[in-house]
Amino acid sequence: MATTITTTMAMMTTTTTITEGAALYRLLAWLSPAYPIGAYTYSHGLERAVEDGAVKTRADLLAYVTTVLRDGAGRVDAALLVAAWRAAIADDDAALDEAARLAAAWRGTAETALETMAQGTAFASVTHSAWPDPRFAALAARHPRALAHPVAFGAAAGFHAIPLRPALTGFLSGFAANLVSAGVRLVPLGQTDGQIATATLHPIIEAAADAAESAELDSLGTAAPMLDLLSMRHETQYTRLFRS
Amino acid sequence: MPRDLPPAPPRHQRAEGAFALHLAAGPRGTALRDLYQQAPARVLFPVPEPDEALTAAVLNCAGGLAGGDSLRQEVRLEAGARATLSTAAAEKVYRSLGPETRVESAVTLGPGAMLEWIPQETILFEGARLRRRMAARLAPGARLLAAETLVFGRAASGETMTAGTVFDAWRLEGPDGLLWLDALALEGGIGTQLAAPFGFAGAKALGTLLLAGGAAEAGRETLRSLPERVACGATIPRPGLLLARFLGPAGAVREAVAAALCALRAAQLGLPARLPRLWTT
Repeated sequence: MATTITTTMAMMTTTTTITEGAALYRLLAWLSPAYPIGAYTYSHGLERAVEDGAVKTRADLLAYVTTVLRDGAGRVDAALLVAAWRAAIADDDAALDEAARLAAAWRGTAETALETMAQGTAFASVTHSAWPDPRFAALAARHPRALAHPVAFGAAAGFHAIPLRPALTGFLSGFAANLVSAGVRLVPLGQTDGQIATATLHPIIEAAADAAESAELDSLGTAAPMLDLLSMRHETQYTRLFRS
Repeated sequence: MPRDLPPAPPRHQRAEGAFALHLAAGPRGTALRDLYQQAPARVLFPVPEPDEALTAAVLNCAGGLAGGDSLRQEVRLEAGARATLSTAAAEKVYRSLGPETRVESAVTLGPGAMLEWIPQETILFEGARLRRRMAARLAPGARLLAAETLVFGRAASGETMTAGTVFDAWRLEGPDGLLWLDALALEGGIGTQLAAPFGFAGAKALGTLLLAGGAAEAGRETLRSLPERVACGATIPRPGLLLARFLGPAGAVREAVAAALCALRAAQLGLPARLPRLWTT
C-alpha cells in the first residue's frame, strides 16, 4: 500500500492549479469506502458466481476480478473515465456530454446499470456538496441522475486538477477492492486472503489503466459474456445481500 | 522448347456485397418500395406463410466472407411497415491472411414499424477476423426484435478458435436519443478469452437477442419461463430494452435462440410461434 501511495505522489508533479497534497487529499476522500455512494452494496454479479459454486477460493476470486478489469465493465468504464477527465481538463462540454451519454448507454445488465448509475448519482451529489465546483455542478445539472460513476469521477478529477493516472489507477483499485471485499464476505475468505488478492491484482490494474489511456471509444468492447449472465441471473437469485 | 508461363499473380479479388432495402406500408400490407443490391449479396422474397410478415431472405452468393471482403446492409421501414429479415443459410467467415472482414448494418424504423432481424448464425473459421457494426434507429412506436449468433470455430469438425479477432458492435437509438451501446471485442488473444472461466468459459457459441420498443418486462418473463437449454439470462439494461444472452455449444445455442424468438414473436409481434421456413429448411 505504501508503494502505491509513493508512486501516486510521484505522478502528481504535473498539477499546477492545486497542490499535490490537495489533489491527493481529494482522491483519497473520493475513493474511501467511507465516501457515501453505497459501493459496499454491489457485488457486480459475484454473489451469483459464489451461489453457483464458480467462486470458492482466492484464486477463483482473482480470476473473477481480473476478467472484470481486463475484459468486462472495467475496460469500458476506465476508458470512459479517461474521456471524461480529458474533456474536463480541456473545458470541452460537448466531449463531456458525449462521454456521459455513451456511459449511460453502455450497460450490459439491469443491475450493473444500477450499480454504476446509482453510485454516479450519489457521487455527483456528495461531491457537489463537499467539494463544490461550478463546472461540475453544470455537468450534473445537464445529466440529472444520469451520470455513470466513472464519468462523474473522471470529470470531478479533471475539474479539481487531479492528474489522470492516479485518478484512473485509484478508480480501478477502488472497484477491484470493493469486489475483493464482497468476495471476502461471500465466499467467505479471510481478511488476509483478501489483502493478498488485492496485492496480486496490482499489475492487472496497471495494465487496465494503460489500456484505458490508449483506448479509442469507437472500438471499445468487452469479452466476458459469463459476467453478464451471472449479473442477469443475480436478478432472480432467491437470497441476496447485494444489489448487483 | 515450351517454356513455363510466368506464374499468375495471386488474385485477392475482394467481394463488396451490399444491399439497401426500403419497405413501406400500403393498402395491401407492406410492400417493396426500393431495392438496391450489389453482388455477391442478394435479397430474395420467398412467399411467406399467410400469417407471416413480408419476409426478406439475404443470400451471399459467394458462399462466405473472406478477409478483406465487406458487406453493407441497409434496411429502412416506413411508418407502420412490418417485415422479417433473415438469411438463407448460416454465414461463414473464413480464415484471413491479414485484412479484416467488414460487415456494416444500418436499420431505420419509422413510427410504428416492426422489424425482425433474425439472420442465422455466423460461423467464424479459425483465423477469421471479423469487424461488424450494427446501428438501428427507432422512431416512436417502432419495434425491433433482433438476434445474432456467433459460432467460434467450425463446430462440426471440432475446431476451436485460437487465432483471429472479433469486433461486433451494437448501437441503438430510440426516439429520445442514444439508447444502448455494446461491443464484443476479442482482440487480445482469442483462445485465452474464449477459455477464461468468466469470459466465455469454453463455450463455442454466443447468442444475443434484443427487443427494443416492445413490452420489455413482459418479454423478460416470457424468456425466463422457457426451459434452459444453455447458460442464459434475460435483463433490461436500459428502459424499454430487453436483452438476452445464450452461451454454450453451437447447436444448443441455435435451438435456445430459436425457442426464445418463437416465444417473443408470438407474445409480442402477433406472429406465429415458429420460425420462418428459411430457418428450418
